[in-house]
Amino acid sequence: MRVLTSAERKYLVRRLMDQHGVEDAFEGLMLIRSGQGRIRAATKEAYEVACRLRKVQQVGLYVAKIVKGDVVLSIEGSQLLGSAITRNAVELSEEEAEEWMKAAPIQKSGKFEGKYVVARCGDFYLGSGRVSRDGKIYPQVAKWRRIPEE
Amino acid sequence: MSKIVLSEDLKSYLSRLPDIELDLLLEAYERPLPEAFRINTLKASEEKILERLRSRGYAVEPIPWARHGYVASGGEDLGKSLEHMLGLIYIQGPVSMAPVEVLDPRPGEIILDLCAAPGSKSTQIAQLLRGEGVLVANDVSFERVKALSSNLQRFGVLNCVITLADGRKYSSFARELFDKVLVDAPCSSLGIVSKSWGIARSWSIGIVKRLSELQKKLILAAFDCLKPGGILVYSTCTLTIEENELVVNWLLESRENARVEEIKLNGLRYRPGITEYDGMRLDDELSKAIRIMPYDNWAEGFYIARIVKEAG
Repeated sequence: MRVLTSAERKYLVRRLMDQHGVEDAFEGLMLIRSGQGRIRAATKEAYEVACRLRKVQQVGLYVAKIVKGDVVLSIEGSQLLGSAITRNAVELSEEEAEEWMKAAPIQKSGKFEGKYVVARCGDFYLGSGRVSRDGKIYPQVAKWRRIPEE
Repeated sequence: MSKIVLSEDLKSYLSRLPDIELDLLLEAYERPLPEAFRINTLKASEEKILERLRSRGYAVEPIPWARHGYVASGGEDLGKSLEHMLGLIYIQGPVSMAPVEVLDPRPGEIILDLCAAPGSKSTQIAQLLRGEGVLVANDVSFERVKALSSNLQRFGVLNCVITLADGRKYSSFARELFDKVLVDAPCSSLGIVSKSWGIARSWSIGIVKRLSELQKKLILAAFDCLKPGGILVYSTCTLTIEENELVVNWLLESRENARVEEIKLNGLRYRPGITEYDGMRLDDELSKAIRIMPYDNWAEGFYIARIVKEAG
């Protein structure tokens, strides 16, 4: 459990600005590095309590990971940023959202900058998806979060 | 439909319990539990999520004793729904929501859930904290902590800490740290046999006695983790005296500043805790705890005690 250095935090905030137009992402929250490039967000108070305890496994919420310099948002990370996401976002229908949560690729027209977009369905955000050259978006949904196939 | 068969040992044990109707208990064991869930108000408004569910064919009825709790009917399997996967709802038995209501978490409090996995009650505590204060969710098993972590993630809890520790030793490093502690203790599960008849098949008095020893150590550690004036809720989903009244009685004997408090739960049928059993006279305070039989609400059976740590 290590708090992001000022430089690491600045990098994350800048990338989120570039990728999704988010200003001052995760302001007011502690950002903590966990394994495999993952970043967790927690309240300051939760972090302080964690520092007083033993056998701590995790603090706060997994919000993003850095993949080859790009930020990939988790479902909760994107929900937390919500309407601050103004760039590289796709609107899904209910049916497409179900497919997204099965990690099935979604065909979307439109031009996207960069490798990742964030999906939303009404008020609900569904995390990042990777854009391929054929115009399909591949949802980055963890296996345990997926709706099981029939 | 097949009928549940209890071992002679279990039948004889249950028939010695005061205030029990064995025929009704067997009937409750054979009925499926109601499909219940909580709306996750950390992610969206209650009305918005209910509207989504109704538009997808679910009929929902509020659970009177649990804020944000509902019983669902119609629609597809909730466990495979988009709402569940997105963490907009949390599937949980209706009576299982009662212990956290008795704990009554308030924003700003520091709360320990000592035996937290898989996280139903932890997510409920987090929801009632409304993002203010801290939830510490602990479990002793690495495998179960993984499930706990997944559920807290799906629920979107920012103000939480997960620890992997033996609950019996928690007070060695967290003495008087918490405003409230929940011990939803590992138990012989006689209140939820309808989930799996195997629970009744594998039941033995030997297991109950071993669990009772563990529960006594957990309740003492939990009490010692409380700040003066703090609240401890002890609950199990079982019916045995050894895992319920005798555990709380042990705490009252061991800590003179422990007092049992009255419990009020709107719309839930229950009975007072037992104070006399098998020629044994227990502390009268135990009548303030509650026993919920599976046939009281045609749902899970539970035991719940609310204990205050008196200051000074």
